[in-house]
Amino acid sequence: MKAVKGVLITCDAAVKQILLQMNERRREDNYFVIEDLDQTHLLIKADEEEGMRQELEVELEKNTYSMEP
Amino acid sequence: MKRAADEQTQNDGPKLKRIKLVTKGPSEAMEVDSRGGEDVENVDGNGVSRPAAVRSNTINLSALHKKLVQAKAVPTKAVAREPLAPLETVTKKQQESLVQRIFRDRDWSNLKLKPDHAARPLWINPEDRTLILEAFSPIAEQAQDFLVAIAEPVSRPEFIHEYKLTTYSLYAAVSVGLETNDILEVLNRYSKVPVPDSIAKFIRDCTASYGKVKLVLKHNKYYVESSHPDLIQKLLRDPIIRGARIIEDNTVTSTSAKPSMAPPGERHADPSKAAASNEKQAQDVFSEVIGADRDDLEEDDINISFQIDDARIDDVKKQCTELEYPMLEEYDFRNDLINPNLEIDLKPATVIRPYQEKSLSKMFGNGRARSGIIVLPCGAGKTLVGITAACTIKKSCLVLCTSSVSVMQWRQQFMMWSNVANHQISVFTADQKEKFAGESGIVISTYHMIANTHNRSHESKKMMDFLTSREWGFILLDEVHVVPATMFRKVVTTIKAHSKLGLTATLVREDDKVVDLNYMIGPKLYEANWMDLAKKGHIANVQCAEVWCPMTSEFYAEYLKQDIRKRMLLYFMNPEKFQACQFLINYHEKRGDKIIVFSDNVYALQAYAKRLNKMYIHGATPQAERMRVLQHFQNNPNVNTIFLSKVGDTSIDLPEATCLIQISSHFGSRRQEAQRLGRILRAKRRNDEGFNAFFYSLVSKDTSEMYYSTKRQQFLIDQGYSFKVITELDGMKTMPGLVYKTKDEQIELMQEVLTAKDSDADLGADVKAGEDDLAGTITSKHFGFPSAGATRTSGSLAAMAGGAHMSFREQNKSANRMIGKEGGTSASGAVRNKLFVNRDRQQTQLKKGM
Repeated sequence: MKAVKGVLITCDAAVKQILLQMNERRREDNYFVIEDLDQTHLLIKADEEEGMRQELEVELEKNTYSMEP
Repeated sequence: MKRAADEQTQNDGPKLKRIKLVTKGPSEAMEVDSRGGEDVENVDGNGVSRPAAVRSNTINLSALHKKLVQAKAVPTKAVAREPLAPLETVTKKQQESLVQRIFRDRDWSNLKLKPDHAARPLWINPEDRTLILEAFSPIAEQAQDFLVAIAEPVSRPEFIHEYKLTTYSLYAAVSVGLETNDILEVLNRYSKVPVPDSIAKFIRDCTASYGKVKLVLKHNKYYVESSHPDLIQKLLRDPIIRGARIIEDNTVTSTSAKPSMAPPGERHADPSKAAASNEKQAQDVFSEVIGADRDDLEEDDINISFQIDDARIDDVKKQCTELEYPMLEEYDFRNDLINPNLEIDLKPATVIRPYQEKSLSKMFGNGRARSGIIVLPCGAGKTLVGITAACTIKKSCLVLCTSSVSVMQWRQQFMMWSNVANHQISVFTADQKEKFAGESGIVISTYHMIANTHNRSHESKKMMDFLTSREWGFILLDEVHVVPATMFRKVVTTIKAHSKLGLTATLVREDDKVVDLNYMIGPKLYEANWMDLAKKGHIANVQCAEVWCPMTSEFYAEYLKQDIRKRMLLYFMNPEKFQACQFLINYHEKRGDKIIVFSDNVYALQAYAKRLNKMYIHGATPQAERMRVLQHFQNNPNVNTIFLSKVGDTSIDLPEATCLIQISSHFGSRRQEAQRLGRILRAKRRNDEGFNAFFYSLVSKDTSEMYYSTKRQQFLIDQGYSFKVITELDGMKTMPGLVYKTKDEQIELMQEVLTAKDSDADLGADVKAGEDDLAGTITSKHFGFPSAGATRTSGSLAAMAGGAHMSFREQNKSANRMIGKEGGTSASGAVRNKLFVNRDRQQTQLKKGM
């Protein structure tokens, strides 16, 4: 197995769960989480970071109420 | 325009850009502080330049003091300003581009400010007719009175208020007796810019047409009346109105039928004019029929009227409103000699508060009773307003409310505040059908009883005939915001009433049907400012807080996997929420507060109450037990907390409480939030200095509950309440006896939640509407449970909460499995990956080494 460049993500427990969930939804060969380290740390593929952030933003936005229609 | 207020706070420090704006444009609104200097000149100089109205106002001391402080601050500001002076000469173009970037299409810098604008508190948006009031201005209070009369309050936080001019609000203004020119003049007096033409035109247009058409009830028949024949013609040309018109049989054929077509009531009330009116009407009809144009019939003092079908009354009203001739409904009750008087008065000891008087004065402004809606916060004495109105009109009165519980409350309040005799007041519900004795009296009933058309028992049918056959002087509609439009239509069309008064605390509906109320009942006559009432001590001062409870990682992982129903249960049952709830209860019990905990979800309610060993009431709780629990809560110093489901929202006459905790609620219902807050607003009797009531919403972080919670708060925020967000309760984790402290317990709890039935996630499922309660409203007249075998004491609650050994043991097994899966994470959540443990060790070593 060739080496993969990774990024260490530090986040709170809830966000970690969201990330894992996002990861689960992908196909097997497309997982971006390399290693689930502990409650607040994840190691993910470096080139997936940007996409992951955007996706996470969308996910978190769902729970925000805004006045604008 | 809340954004504007935000910008104001953001722009607080003196910054380059903002100073440049000083030279032009209304953008200065954002500039309260740094322009204190000018303010002082205007106010202290006791203004040659200040307009008459402003001068005549007394400036309150605290405002003057504020100005003084600002004046002192001027030197420093002047220093700050000096180096910026050259900037004011920056070319206009640059300024514009700067302004535009900030305000985009809301750049009104082209409006010329009045020279003494600083002393005037009002900004007008010429396009969307928004009015922004600087509530910190010394004359803001008078401006507020005026604005409430002519515009809809949109949002009223502490410093900047937002109002909106609408057609309805202007109709209301006219019906309250304001005249077009007065409105324009006063508006101009308060405004910082001359009233824009677009606004002036809007006001003229809206006010000009109002009041020309009247809806009159004569002898149980509705007539549209107007002194402008051309207007009647115009209305009759409209297909809907024409369709609703009733033409008496023999009127059309020839003019010889004149006498028969006169509405009989007219002859009684006004014999001198009756003949003329008859003729007029006949001719009118005649001209209608033969299509001839007889415009020579213009005598102003004569009223023309035509009868319309009862059943289509509100179609006609709506249509008239759309044609921009809204109908005026006024009842000259003093001169009504046909309907017998009801001799009731307020008891001498009854005291009416100033704001109640003000709201009533809008209703009876010109000695007649107008129909409309009065909006007062919960706990501010809406009932008394209604009773006073009934005592003023002194005619037969019908009171409609949403549930049979409130029917009883109304009856009791009537007895308490007024000298109505027992035989004059009667109740019409599923259980009780009585008529009042004598020829006039009060009937209290529910919307449902009146609007229900099928399956009526013989008795209630007889009662309904009694109700529909007579003419009512006054109909009082409680909680108007909850009644569906169709039901209203039924009520309005079957019951003939001269005047209608709607009462409500929250004129919001999630389905935006509020507009319908405008033509079904009437315009909004008065809306109280919650913050004002709180300041004056009429309602309690409330501290609102939203407590964010993080989901534990196990719960959150599960939350992400489950469907919506289970998700709800998961965020209701979040162990952190449990802990927060326990902590808050403990804290407030120690302070001596009486606490109500609300949970719409019955499953969560029972789980919380049992675990925390508190008493609870929900829909299935038998009546006897409810009474016992409530009595304990009221009188027993050891019982300071009760848990309530949705039943507590409307159907229980709740005792006073000073602290309210909400653990689960009905999605984003703003109304429910306001109504719940109302439960603690009554706590004003403990009005010692600095006394606060508390309102907590517990919200599970990162879940959709956050979304709903923010939405729910909107109404209260618009009333000026601010919600503090508490992200961490200090000392919660170290509290002795904290529930669900260990991971094992938490996982156990989760297993329980996951094995719960789907239906357990239902909100308010415990409450079923009684026979005569309004569908859709949260009611319970639920005596249907045999109270015999269900004697339960608090001791048995404890047993159920703590003593369920069997289930605990069994579920431990699965909890164990769960732990295995998670790789042995433990309670503290502090177990770290080996990698970080190593790094930590190295770091500490490094530190030691240094």
